[in-house]
Amino acid sequence: MPITYDAVKALSANLYDWSLRAVPADTKDGLRRALETETQDGARKVLRMMLGSAQKAEQEDRFVCSDAGVPVYHVTIGSAARLDGDIKAAISDGFDELVARISPPLLKHVTNPLTNERGYKGRGMPLVTWDVASGADWVEILCQPKALGSGRWAALETFSFPTLAEIEAYVMKVVLQAGSQHCPPVIIGVGIGGSFDVAARIASKATMRPIGSVNDEPVLAAMEERLLRALNATGFGPMGTGGDTTALAVHVDYAAGHGYTPVAVCFNCWINRRTRARLHADGSVERFE
Amino acid sequence: MSEFRRLTMPMSREDARSLRAGDMILVDGEIVITAGLPTVQRLVACAEEGRAPPFPLDGGSLLHLGSYSQDTADGGLEILYMNPTTSTRFNRLMPGLIRHFGLTAVGGKGGLDADCVQAMQEVGCIYLSFLGGGAPLHSAAIEAVREVAYSDLVAHYRLVRLAVRGLGPLTVGIDTHGNSLFDTLQEQAQDRLPAILAQLAKDRATAGG
Repeated sequence: MPITYDAVKALSANLYDWSLRAVPADTKDGLRRALETETQDGARKVLRMMLGSAQKAEQEDRFVCSDAGVPVYHVTIGSAARLDGDIKAAISDGFDELVARISPPLLKHVTNPLTNERGYKGRGMPLVTWDVASGADWVEILCQPKALGSGRWAALETFSFPTLAEIEAYVMKVVLQAGSQHCPPVIIGVGIGGSFDVAARIASKATMRPIGSVNDEPVLAAMEERLLRALNATGFGPMGTGGDTTALAVHVDYAAGHGYTPVAVCFNCWINRRTRARLHADGSVERFE
Repeated sequence: MSEFRRLTMPMSREDARSLRAGDMILVDGEIVITAGLPTVQRLVACAEEGRAPPFPLDGGSLLHLGSYSQDTADGGLEILYMNPTTSTRFNRLMPGLIRHFGLTAVGGKGGLDADCVQAMQEVGCIYLSFLGGGAPLHSAAIEAVREVAYSDLVAHYRLVRLAVRGLGPLTVGIDTHGNSLFDTLQEQAQDRLPAILAQLAKDRATAGG
């Protein structure tokens, strides 16, 4: 059976709703592991508060953060999927439906960048990226609402034939720029190469990879490991008030390019909002996160 | 007994001065909050034009916390949730407000800049760092909504006076003695950077070999 407008609309609304009321399991595990290794007393207290906040949100069905961010969806359509209806409109309509029904209500965070007026709607909202999965008969939607901590501190610079040393020094520069601001411990995505937009998209996608997963490219796996140690040696710590835990993970990916090499660095704050599910051809919904 | 010192807000100048950057405290009493830049701009205009703000701020707090406030059926007000926002957005506006109203406490997340630290030292005002993503904890500490002003603005921009009990623990990010955890940690990270980059080079060599 085809994947319908109604199914995409309902899932888009639900993914956003779910993302606000829980911290992903891999992220809570990451916080627990950090608690075991963190040496500073104040930082351990902050990490425990984070786990407490996550637990209370789930138990009492509350929002983890009051800033619900803006709706960001990443959609992957199987090349063999049969579609019925305007699924692009379905995502937008799904968000509108959520705004109308969600309890407690969302604050207005969609901002017109020319006037700074805020509401629930705006040009280009929701922010959606589209991808195709060869041969698949499903549609996958990942929802990652973005707010200040998970958006403001991202940066991109373009280099000419950079060495790994230059790339890693740039990552450190962006981390120091963000300092205590982005609700650490963060998940850091680094995108290398491609073009301006491709590098940014790779970095953003890298933040979505589960914490604790190992990069299947050995060169990148080694880079991720040493960058994580380097970032945590800065000392900003949980909530940027000091400690050994500034990042829970660094995820790096790349694409071939021309030799001018954009390097994009982006962050997700500690609550790491991220939900993902697949709509299958048999009408079932498979939820991953 | 809680492991945290418990203080009442509005905070006395003496209590504010007794705190040191890095201390963690719990708070009872009354706080004033907003997450809105337009709101803080209105308060600056009040100060500059010698007008009274919607409710008195003298010697009190102004915390960068956003909240969802709404009317209740019995004519009262309720807050559905509350959480900090990034304070550095307000850097430019805060020194004047801290001085004019003699604030004893400001706060939010991420700290404030050196000009603010200077004003806070002059006046005797602390900065309280709240847990971001702590809405379930912070909201549970709200006892009552005392007053809401600037209701023409979106909910999180409104100026709200709240009664709280056991709010926190909150970290003193900046004290009244000119110490800022945020500045110290940024300087420390800059100082550590050469050694961090050298270690990365070593690690790359090992990975390559």
